[in-house]
Amino acid sequence: MTTLAAPTLRQVIGGFCVLAQKTAQTKLTYRLATLITLLASGFAYCVFLLVWNEVYRQNPHAGPLSREQMLGYLVIAFLVNALLILNVESRFLQRVRMGLVAVDLVRPLGFVFVQLAQATGDLLVNAIYAVPIYVVGLAFAGSALYPASWLAAVLGGVSVALAFLIGFGVSYLIVQASFVLQSGYGVLFARAALHQVFSGLSAPLVMFPAPLRRVAVWLPFRHEIETPVRLWLGQATLAEAPRLLLEQAAWGMGLVLTGELVFRAVMHRHQIQGG
Amino acid sequence: MHALRFYVTLYRTALKSVAEYRVDFAVGIVTAISMQLAALAFYWVIFARTPALGGWSPGQVLLLFGFTAMVLGLSEATLNGIWWLPYYILDGQLDRLLTFPVDSLAFVLLSRPELHSFGNFAAGALSVAVAWHLLSPPWYALLFLPLWIGAGAVIYTGVLVLVGALTFRIVGPWVTHLFTVHQLFNTSRYPISIYPRWLRVLVLYLLPFGAAIFVPADYLRGHGSLWQAVLVPPLAALAVAFAAKTAWDAALRGYQSTGS
Repeated sequence: MTTLAAPTLRQVIGGFCVLAQKTAQTKLTYRLATLITLLASGFAYCVFLLVWNEVYRQNPHAGPLSREQMLGYLVIAFLVNALLILNVESRFLQRVRMGLVAVDLVRPLGFVFVQLAQATGDLLVNAIYAVPIYVVGLAFAGSALYPASWLAAVLGGVSVALAFLIGFGVSYLIVQASFVLQSGYGVLFARAALHQVFSGLSAPLVMFPAPLRRVAVWLPFRHEIETPVRLWLGQATLAEAPRLLLEQAAWGMGLVLTGELVFRAVMHRHQIQGG
Repeated sequence: MHALRFYVTLYRTALKSVAEYRVDFAVGIVTAISMQLAALAFYWVIFARTPALGGWSPGQVLLLFGFTAMVLGLSEATLNGIWWLPYYILDGQLDRLLTFPVDSLAFVLLSRPELHSFGNFAAGALSVAVAWHLLSPPWYALLFLPLWIGAGAVIYTGVLVLVGALTFRIVGPWVTHLFTVHQLFNTSRYPISIYPRWLRVLVLYLLPFGAAIFVPADYLRGHGSLWQAVLVPPLAALAVAFAAKTAWDAALRGYQSTGS
């Protein structure tokens, strides 16, 4: 019996890039589905905008943010969210149902890197769709969407990259749940609910009632949307930036490592169905 | 009578089949309740900043939240199968299903109840109970509650079938077009007065989710008439059910198996 040699770093990077590229190509094949998804989430988001529009119409001093600042925040929040819609869980659930997960488990790249590469492919395609969303947003909100400065733009960009790591970490944990549940959709929707409330997607945390805000600051979700948006728009001070980025990095690494530990535990009792 | 007995047996079997996975059942219930709590958290954020929304008080908006969740829960518990149509077509299950001597649409709809629906329904019922206590509408209005929720579930499912019929033309492993309907349905959570005119027309007349939610809620808050509240929801449900069945039959005539 021959044993396979561990892949070199170059092979790992090459495999990672190829897998990300192939995932992006697959996603681009289903353009219509992706466009409809964006349309549906855009429509749902318009409801948030209309609700806030009504709140500010009735009370122009509804909170610490002005109407224009709120509009800018909400549009950029939608953009960041659209950028970070990853298909990690749905892709995985489909492969579990079809029995194809066995192939993913034996890839030399390692399970976590396979998932991360595919998530990177999602991100690349999302970035293509994000450009027209930003242009449309500019038509409605104008300069409210501009970064506060060049430094704010760079900090916002770094923060989005770290937000991607957090989003992937949460998805990777949900994938572990899919190994033990008949259908992982329940956990998937629970994550969506938590994300919708605590990420700052529907409103920045500063608008939250105090008890809700106290819960939100202990969860990773706010670093997926609110932190990058505040850094981009300059709503977070430069003094706050290093702490926010460090918190993001810690959450991202912590979630991925936790997911990896759970994965190892799950593999001890996992059985592959025949497909 | 024979067909009815068949559908009852089919539904009971489908329910048993999904209830077999107890952990999934528990996760589903927790999930549905957390989704409703998420929506209510936004409600909390909004009413922490304003005393009313589009002329509707917090209690009145809570009633809209409750109605929407109950309608969703009832539809998911009974007529949820349309969400599985793309997969039925892809893996060839629809071909087997079409050989049964019963109505194919009813068969598809009843074939896959969703257990998390009980969480949605319970959370909705609780919201309606609290709102009812706050608004104190006439006691006899409670008699019409099953009519409103039932009509709402038929309308929601009917619109899903109308859009789902496209699945026969655009075959693929996705339900994004159905998800768009679901997002449109969520507009029922907020007062119709905050929406632009085109959206009001859409959700009241073209895809009339509002007929079974806004119209009764408007009556319960003391604005609309009882006749309107009693007649509009079932009439809208009948119209949507007819349109859905017509669209389904037309789409089925052009169906080509995937050969899986």
